[in-house]
Amino acid sequence: MNWPTIKLIFRRELRDQLRDRRTLFTVAIMPMLLYPLMGMAMMQVAQFMRESPSRVWIVGEEKLPASPPLIVGGKFNPIFGTAESQLIELIGSSAGDGHFESLIKSATNAAEDSLSVEETLRQEMQKRKMDLAIFIPNQIQIPQRPDSKTNNGHQDSTTAPATQVFVLTDSAIDKSRIASERVNRILNQWSTEFSKETLVANDIPTSMIQGVVFTTGDVANKTGKQAAAWSKILPFIIMIWSLTGAFYPAIDLCAGEKERGTFETLLSSPAARSEIAFGKLLTVMTFSMATSFLNLLSMGFTGIFVLTKLGSGIGAGGALPIGIPPLASIGWLLLALIPISALFSAVALAAAAFARSSKEGQYYLVPLLMISMPLMMIPMLPAAELDFGTSLIPVSGLMLLLRSLIEANYTDCLKFAAPVCAINLACCWLAVRWVIHQFNSETVLFRASERFGIGAWIKHIMRERRSLPSLGSAILCGVVILVAKFFIGFAITAPQNFGQFALQTVIILVATIFIPSVMMALFLTRNPKKSLRLKGCKITMAAAAILAAVFLNPIFTWLTGFIMHIYPPSGDMLMLQEAVSRILGSAPGLWAIILVFALAPAIFEEVAFRGFILSGFQSIQGKWKPILLTSLMFGLAHGVIQQTMITFVVGLVLGLIAIQTKSILPCILFHLTHNSLAVLLSQANRTYVEQSPVLRQYLYSTDGQNYQYATFPAILMSFVGVLLIIWFLQLDLKPSNRTEAYGRVPHPN
Amino acid sequence: MIHVRNLKKTYKDIQSGQFTALAGISFDAMPGQIYGLLGPNGAGKTTALRILSTVLKPSEGSAVVNGFNVNEQPEQVRRQIGFVSCNTAIYDRMTSWELVQYFGLLYGMPLDRLHSKMNALFDRFQMNEIRDVLCSKMSTGMKQKVSIVRAMIHNPPVLIFDEATSGLDILVAREVLKTVEQLRDQGKCIVFSSHIMSEVKRLCDRVAIMNRGVILAEGTPTHLAEKHEENDMEELFYQLISQSEAQLESDKSVAAASGVLTSQATN
Repeated sequence: MNWPTIKLIFRRELRDQLRDRRTLFTVAIMPMLLYPLMGMAMMQVAQFMRESPSRVWIVGEEKLPASPPLIVGGKFNPIFGTAESQLIELIGSSAGDGHFESLIKSATNAAEDSLSVEETLRQEMQKRKMDLAIFIPNQIQIPQRPDSKTNNGHQDSTTAPATQVFVLTDSAIDKSRIASERVNRILNQWSTEFSKETLVANDIPTSMIQGVVFTTGDVANKTGKQAAAWSKILPFIIMIWSLTGAFYPAIDLCAGEKERGTFETLLSSPAARSEIAFGKLLTVMTFSMATSFLNLLSMGFTGIFVLTKLGSGIGAGGALPIGIPPLASIGWLLLALIPISALFSAVALAAAAFARSSKEGQYYLVPLLMISMPLMMIPMLPAAELDFGTSLIPVSGLMLLLRSLIEANYTDCLKFAAPVCAINLACCWLAVRWVIHQFNSETVLFRASERFGIGAWIKHIMRERRSLPSLGSAILCGVVILVAKFFIGFAITAPQNFGQFALQTVIILVATIFIPSVMMALFLTRNPKKSLRLKGCKITMAAAAILAAVFLNPIFTWLTGFIMHIYPPSGDMLMLQEAVSRILGSAPGLWAIILVFALAPAIFEEVAFRGFILSGFQSIQGKWKPILLTSLMFGLAHGVIQQTMITFVVGLVLGLIAIQTKSILPCILFHLTHNSLAVLLSQANRTYVEQSPVLRQYLYSTDGQNYQYATFPAILMSFVGVLLIIWFLQLDLKPSNRTEAYGRVPHPN
Repeated sequence: MIHVRNLKKTYKDIQSGQFTALAGISFDAMPGQIYGLLGPNGAGKTTALRILSTVLKPSEGSAVVNGFNVNEQPEQVRRQIGFVSCNTAIYDRMTSWELVQYFGLLYGMPLDRLHSKMNALFDRFQMNEIRDVLCSKMSTGMKQKVSIVRAMIHNPPVLIFDEATSGLDILVAREVLKTVEQLRDQGKCIVFSSHIMSEVKRLCDRVAIMNRGVILAEGTPTHLAEKHEENDMEELFYQLISQSEAQLESDKSVAAASGVLTSQATN
């Protein structure tokens, strides 16, 4: 790539966009005008916004005690809440007609018909336009102690019914909820005062009801609190505007150029496709960053101005807790803007490169937003935090890293910055590769609108079938497996015994993994048998596969232990493991466990992954890229992060065996042996191991339950395992006729 | 200068499976010569020219431009050609001066040499009045002039004109044709596609008449007239295309009939 050419293209595109009024309006003018206008509108509206008083209907006011006085002069006593008292309009019991009292009585007596009573009450309140109703059914008076001398003739307070006050609200109506909050504050204060007076009247010290006094404190300083508040808001805002700012220039620079015919002129110039792609990417990035920055700036200024005017007193100890973002936050934000914009610009450019017109390009905005929005929402969940799992999620990981940076949580940032940057760089790289591919693709550059029909499309797919699956079919199969596994998770119920567990496991494997791959091989390829690698192999290969699984087992066991140590299983996972262990206890024998945990996955997963998916990925040149991609999908299909990492490594060995032997039979044998050994190791117990002189040499346990390989035998076995892998690597196989299989020449049949 | 051999181009088509845009054409164009590609819409002219400019890859066959193969050395081929298309294809939000300079720089020309070349071309095409005018404000004729200057700026040995006079008024069209003649006189190899007979007759040293991806006839206008005993180029063109279409229809009928017969025989 020639940097001066990229710079030349970038400068031209930048100038071109700066001369486009629509782009300028979206990027600069709109944020500069929009927020101040919105602020002005808010201020105008605020002038008319007054807190309206709550209408509270009180029935049985006369039954309240004289002291402490709840109602003074037709209003709630201000000593129990000055502000609340001002905002409540009391309507006395004179407004009632006795009907309300009878309804309340029926509500308290006829519990079995409470729903219909509540509905009647709600209608009654709505009819009277009340926000809340208080009903005092009985006389309230200060109770006397049973041994009190003043208790002349009164009912014993221990046997007397508790003093009840009914407060009826309609939680479906906002005004009623507000009224409830106001009234509850007053009633609680009054109730406390009433309790105190009761104690005084009965010669009991009021300190008796103090109980334990909790004093709370907040160790966070003002900057920390501000940073915590802003760390949730700013990353989201910056992401949204970065994506929006990238999309319109991307459409204009790709789809727009195609539409205007200038793209063909550019392609016939000496500039390489990659130089064109990078020149355009830099332009889109510039606009994405500018949009984000200007929006933040305008929002910030408007926010400060409006809130100050409204009397919230930003930064001056006012009501708003967040204040002005700390300077460090702004610095991190500006720094993070570069990778964020790079990622969204590359993705937007990739979508726009596929579109043949600006109009079509705009259609791609919706799916892109639909994919990006959930990724942006994940970090806003209260439980979301930066860990290895979340750092691997594109966009979300970047957002969480930015949040940690703003919160000055630098330990986590240092720990996870590498995976976050790697995964987002990888996404960026893939998107740019896609753009370059699109610029080279004639079907994308010059495709015309085709009349689309389902029938014609199916005919087209059947006609264009190749001997082996295409890259697209392999990806589709992987995605179908992942989606099917996700949805079947909702359908399954907790099994009660081993029989149910085994049936459920096999059904899941068949329905979500085996059937999709076999169906795709049947309908999307001309040679399903070859696509699934359903062929025999030499006995030496089969034996080598079994031996490799045995001798590599110490490495995989050690790797499992290491991953579990680095990323300990969550509480849920441990509970699940316990549940599975309990169920396995009811298994008819070890053979049954091996059947479910080893044989079934070995057959069904190998057919799908080393069969169909690997065959599809083999349309990419080279041996390792297909193996790597298949292993990645194999790992992802296992769901749990620890399992994903382990199965990814096992998948690499399986992929290699599949390619070298051209058959899934050795893979099935390897998979079966590997899983069987894992089952045996997990089921090994002290009695069993101690009785066997061979096992005693190879296995050890510190707790008598979890057995591991002894160091020396493990090293020796691993060495033999590696030699077997080398043997597989050096297998002298005829080069496969990939040109015939993947060539564009239609199959003669 | 340009050697095309058995050039084929097929596209995938969702309806018919495969669409053949070029069914194996061959021709040679020499320096100081205007080679005309004549054909109705959909004849395959633009596909052939796009392959020559390396925007499309051929499905089969080869094309060599000034010694460079379009398949193996596309970047070198792009440096040998200047491409002028019918839709002018210039950036609306650039002035003519900026646009020509941009492409000159893309071709790696040093700025001083580029500017002296630009001054000469702007003088020659009387474009100094519009050098600071945005292309969006220009008439179609003006735009086509800018497009020609843009294609000539790096002084390529090969110039490709794809229906370059389409949509132009008679005055501008004549000016474009005059330019093409001048370029030929400078020793450039020119490929000129058109479906306007008078232009071809006036300009081209050799002509290939195309229909449905094949060359029906090829040679100098005089040679074609003698061979087909028809002096009027338009009439000759009409006859060849009509014969070709009739032949295609007849082939289709034979194919359909043989299909029916085969089906009856098997039943």
